[in-house]
Amino acid sequence: MSRLLAVLVVITGLLVAVQLDVLSHVRIFGVVVMVVWLWPFCLGLLGAGPAALITGAVAGLCFDAHAATAFGLNAAVGAALAAIAVRLGRNSVGDVDGAAWWTAPALAAAAGLLAPLLFVGAGAFTLDFSLWRGSLLTTMAVNAVVFAVVARPLLIGTRVITGLAPSRR
Amino acid sequence: MALSHSRRRALTLSALAVVSAYGLYQAGGVGNGVRGLAGGALRPFGWAVNLVATPIGHLLAGAVNYSDLVSQNQQLRSELGKAELAASVNAGATQTLAALNAVLRLPFIGSTPSVVAQVVSVSPTNFAATVTLSKGASDGLLPGMPVVANGGVVGRIIATTNHGSTVRLITDANSSLNVTFGKQATTVLVDGRGVNNGLSMSGIPVTASLAIGQVLLSSSLSGSTMPGGLPVAKVTSISVTPGSSTYAASVSPVADLGHLSFVDVLLWEPST
Repeated sequence: MSRLLAVLVVITGLLVAVQLDVLSHVRIFGVVVMVVWLWPFCLGLLGAGPAALITGAVAGLCFDAHAATAFGLNAAVGAALAAIAVRLGRNSVGDVDGAAWWTAPALAAAAGLLAPLLFVGAGAFTLDFSLWRGSLLTTMAVNAVVFAVVARPLLIGTRVITGLAPSRR
Repeated sequence: MALSHSRRRALTLSALAVVSAYGLYQAGGVGNGVRGLAGGALRPFGWAVNLVATPIGHLLAGAVNYSDLVSQNQQLRSELGKAELAASVNAGATQTLAALNAVLRLPFIGSTPSVVAQVVSVSPTNFAATVTLSKGASDGLLPGMPVVANGGVVGRIIATTNHGSTVRLITDANSSLNVTFGKQATTVLVDGRGVNNGLSMSGIPVTASLAIGQVLLSSSLSGSTMPGGLPVAKVTSISVTPGSSTYAASVSPVADLGHLSFVDVLLWEPST
């Protein structure tokens, strides 16, 4: 467990650094691909359980520390995506071995579509009703496509490094 | 012995509390303190990523874009020459304008003190158009102060720490600004449309004429959030609805917000 924790801390730190230093400058159609949202989702699918939720929240908070939007919004989205993925992972939905090859990318694409909406919805709770006025649809589309492409390699890589695997029913 | 142990613990906790309180005060509050802590925790990871990514990026960019770099350099030299010439010509005009403004008792931006600051980071998110500057409250910067660069208005400061500040760009969805144009000095609100989406302007009276390419200046109306006369945006398209008493226009910022490296913060506060 302590090895898994250490590996998750290092990978999460590196992914947040890549998010801030690389992805935030390499915009696709002006959109930043949010790996800090995809990462907890993949952990949830791999059956990481509470670790996925905590990772989502911590990665989101680290990202929020550098963003001008309300503090905690990305953490909330990361944790929410992780919670959804944990439920799916418990039922082996999106299992890279057990399910059809396209299941995980399809779920990740759905997460990419949902995450910006969750962000805008969470923003409304902080009384910021202007978030939808940006490039919401483009953000959803770009994140969905990139999540779909990246999800499977990320899942396989994470499973190899961490040894995580969803419980089979 | 037990008493001394508990005293020692109380003293240690008090010292920690004082150090934490001082740290939070220096960071500019609890929110900024938490942000600072998270930023500090991530610094080694960012450093590691930069250590690998930056040389590779420079190598690739240098190999692929060298000829572009040479031509950009030549173009910049040419533009610098033109700018120096224009500056010389403008110097006389500026003096005349300042003298006229002094006679007419109008505000003149040329006389407003400013602080040059470096842009240290751009908003990493899709939902806020902001940049972070290298200077903050200890350099005299305050929330609300206007920021200019690249020939036009960039935005306004929304938050400061002792050694840094956050600027909300005029393209941010939460940004709106009074601009004026035309002989009748028509005043209209220009709103940000979010990251990468430029600006919009609506409710322009049909009696006010507007041309594509026309530059809109910040309004000097009482209570404005900017000093008057600063170039804000250029008209890119006009859309008229038949029968309506107003029309709308799409506008783009005069300043190139995509390539901000150094900016001027005007030490100007809105009048109350």
